[in-house]
Amino acid sequence: MPPKLKTLEDIKQLRESLTAQTADIGHTVTISGGTCGNASGSLKVVEAMRSELASNGFAGKVHVRVTGCQGFCEQEPIVIIDPANIFYCRVSPDDVPEIVNETIRKNQVIERLLYTDSATGEKITKESDIPFYLAQDRVLLSQNRKIDPCSIEDYIAIGGYSALAKVLGGMAPEQVIKEIKNSGLRGRGGGGYPTGRKWQQCREAAGDEKYVICNADEGDPGAYMDRSVLEGNPHAILEGMLIGSFAIGANQGYIYVRNEYPLAVINARKAIEQAKLFGLLSDDILGRHHFDIEIMRGAGAFVCGESTALMASLEGKVGEPRPKDVHTVQEGLWNKPTCLNNVETWANVPQIINKGAAWFASKGTEGSKGTKIFALTGRIKNTGLVEVAMGTPLRTIIHSIGGGPNDGVAIKAVQTGGPSGGCLPAEKFDLPVDFETLAKAGSMVGSGGMVVMDERTCMVDVAKYFIAFLQDESCGKCVPCRLGLSRMLEILTDITEGRGKPEQLDLLEDLGETMTETCLCALGKTAANPVLSTLRYFRQEYESHIQDKYCSAGVCRELIQYSIDPNNCTGCGACLKACPNKAITGESEKPHRINQDLCSKCGICKDVCKFEAISVC
Amino acid sequence: MQEYVNITIDGAKISAVRGTSVLDTAMEYGICIPHLCHYPGLSDIGACRLCIVEHIVNGKAKVTASCTLNVAEGMVIRTDTDRIKRLRRNIAELLVAQAPNSRAIQDVAVRCGVKQVRYPFHNDNCVLCGRCVRVCAEMWQAKALGFVGRGKDRHVDFPFGRKPDFCKSCNTCIDICPMTITPCPGPMKSGEEYLCLACEGQLTMADSLPGACVWCDLGKGFQCARQVQAG
Amino acid sequence: MSENALETILENRRSQPHQLIEVLQDVQETFGYISEEAMTTVSKELGVPLIEVYRVANYYKAFSLAPRGRHIITVCMGTACHVRGAPRMLDEVRGQLGIEPGQTTSDGMFTLERVNCLGACALGPIVVMDGKYHRNMTPNKLRKLVQSVRETEKEVGADAA
Repeated sequence: MPPKLKTLEDIKQLRESLTAQTADIGHTVTISGGTCGNASGSLKVVEAMRSELASNGFAGKVHVRVTGCQGFCEQEPIVIIDPANIFYCRVSPDDVPEIVNETIRKNQVIERLLYTDSATGEKITKESDIPFYLAQDRVLLSQNRKIDPCSIEDYIAIGGYSALAKVLGGMAPEQVIKEIKNSGLRGRGGGGYPTGRKWQQCREAAGDEKYVICNADEGDPGAYMDRSVLEGNPHAILEGMLIGSFAIGANQGYIYVRNEYPLAVINARKAIEQAKLFGLLSDDILGRHHFDIEIMRGAGAFVCGESTALMASLEGKVGEPRPKDVHTVQEGLWNKPTCLNNVETWANVPQIINKGAAWFASKGTEGSKGTKIFALTGRIKNTGLVEVAMGTPLRTIIHSIGGGPNDGVAIKAVQTGGPSGGCLPAEKFDLPVDFETLAKAGSMVGSGGMVVMDERTCMVDVAKYFIAFLQDESCGKCVPCRLGLSRMLEILTDITEGRGKPEQLDLLEDLGETMTETCLCALGKTAANPVLSTLRYFRQEYESHIQDKYCSAGVCRELIQYSIDPNNCTGCGACLKACPNKAITGESEKPHRINQDLCSKCGICKDVCKFEAISVC
Repeated sequence: MQEYVNITIDGAKISAVRGTSVLDTAMEYGICIPHLCHYPGLSDIGACRLCIVEHIVNGKAKVTASCTLNVAEGMVIRTDTDRIKRLRRNIAELLVAQAPNSRAIQDVAVRCGVKQVRYPFHNDNCVLCGRCVRVCAEMWQAKALGFVGRGKDRHVDFPFGRKPDFCKSCNTCIDICPMTITPCPGPMKSGEEYLCLACEGQLTMADSLPGACVWCDLGKGFQCARQVQAG
Repeated sequence: MSENALETILENRRSQPHQLIEVLQDVQETFGYISEEAMTTVSKELGVPLIEVYRVANYYKAFSLAPRGRHIITVCMGTACHVRGAPRMLDEVRGQLGIEPGQTTSDGMFTLERVNCLGACALGPIVVMDGKYHRNMTPNKLRKLVQSVRETEKEVGADAA
């Protein structure tokens, strides 16, 4: 029967007893689960490990902990053996018997499973020496490393719920708000609104019934920071919401999770159940608060990441945004004062309460305090989740932490902020990542997505991709968004298919500015950014598509042609078999030919050719 | 017992009824703000964005739709700045390029100063203004019509695409639709659409009293609320 | 059978309009799609106008108004996957099965869907087959995956026969 934690003393005692228990354990084997881990087969590794340990008599002496995402996604499945802190990556179930025999039984390191530093080529033994981690400031992500998200005991053992205890143990709501204000925490979902100020406005709003919401609708393609925090450390969000609701005066909270994150929904539900069992979500929380949280799922709509659309969805309606002349802190969910914050924002709250506003404010820049998690993906060596202090230059993130280009192809640009953000060229990589700097440069920090692009990426195609995405996701209510996106896509399609005209570039800018000023919601207002930023920094690519009908990256299908060089072609037939349009013909051992009328320029043939006989021009 | 608040529109000090929108207040005072989805007696949804104005807050001008902005004490509004005129013209241009086969759309485009259309014409027969949906739900309480689908697939439809038996066959949806009246020179064939500037002369009247309502024919064309209310 | 299942979904939710999306999600999960009968019943029991139920069912991508295939192939088209060649996965499936995203093969076997980011970006391009995530996909691997699903069905059919 789990202990109901009724007083601060209860929590302290539980923590101490848990810490005492772990002191007896010999080895701890940490395996990263989470969506990425599962997709890489980590659950099979866990099974194999448990069964191998049991059959070797280690059950009870070796603790196996399955965590959520740790952020080094390329290297999944990851197995870490403590106390020696040995780091194995890309582990398969077949490696497990050797790990148990050599490392656990004999403390021997298995060289081939160690991580190889992409810069030096050296093998690294300890997790604490891995350059990818060393260059980061993993305030939030380091917690994922230490806990099983389905275990509230793990969370309490590392200090979880002590911030809540501190708040309910003697702080006044106004003090809590002051602490958050002084920390300088700004919304991590993209808006960057000062969190303390939002809490204050909600507290001061008229009405007794108030709500707090956690926005876990992370819809930006290429961003998955919130998924990893919600999956890997759901209690941090519960604790943040408990503290926030107390400060604001709300007694009901919602976590709105997009339904494309099934594991996050499961883990968050488990966490809520456990918190209830332990008395941390109830009518009487440590004698001073009462609060309940419900999980609601999204149903596949990017626009529901916008706060008013999210609230409409919670009310069971279509997720259409409404005008924000009256802010949601005054009239939000059910027209009541509502404080909506992003997952990462809530997760930072317990840290700030425990370590103090000054600690948080000591990191980052004047206007952007603290650390931020970025999802670094695309054409880069070390893809994964990166947590750094705000103000860290792009170059550090992309080259020092990210390891620089993959396949030796030069990096051309980085796209930040998702569909609301923009593309910054390599010349701008010395810019520090903070709210003001990126916005001035024509992009934004956004939710944290950072997609790296190289010379094989066509920037006009990228703009078209984002506009097509937004057109798909727009609610369609207002004219400048619905018709503006449709016309932008029409023009970009003209340009990428060789029908572009020079005056269309000015028209794109005029239309983009109109959308930015007049659209009803943030989706529409920021929709033109991918186009405007690529026009600003990569205008020559647009011009060469229009004037020369040339796509330098070899991406725009109407402007390229695939052909087989008869000198290199051995007639192996691999391309013929692989072509989804049956556009390749040829006899065995004789050079093959591509029928341009049937060819869809997908490029699959070039991928499978082992003789470099297929080229694109 | 009506409460009043003092607001300023285009420099004019106006006593506005608390709870009304900036658009309604402006029209009450004879200030012209073009609009399409606004219709007297129906709720405002801020969909067409033609009624945008500048709302000056702390020295900064925020562009916002006046139909969904309620008056408040001390509010400062500008309806006729160059920026607003340019934005409004661009929005009207998008509308007429999309659905030129309607007198209302052509007239509102001319009223908003559209002189050329830089996009290829389409020939849609609905601009999603939502008047039909709102009149069915709010005036007749039938709720037989609604906006179905998202983004470019958004369209007006019955449940399951079939007229339900609870439709009262009042035909108000048809009467109130801006697309039902064809352009004055006649319906435009697909591929032969153009911007009809025949009534451009109406603008000369309007320009002689900038920002003021001159009871123009263009307003009659797009069923301007002021003219509808007058009967 | 279906009436009972719908009953269970509606239990404790009657006359609560705000439960509409949760109810429809349960209907989608239980029946694989949302039928007109289901929508009509939900409208009555929850107290939501029929047009609103129809609107919500049409608005959200998670809901399908037509029965779907026995196997659902979902291709992630997020930015990171796009940059790593996700459009080729769609090309491959189009060529192999002859359907567009949102459609089902005429034999009812496969439905192709596209999704705008699953949040597993480091492992892209990602294809999900019947809920299982497949990482670092190439058109070749995808062709083999579809083949293997076909073969498994044949075996199961042969066993049953």
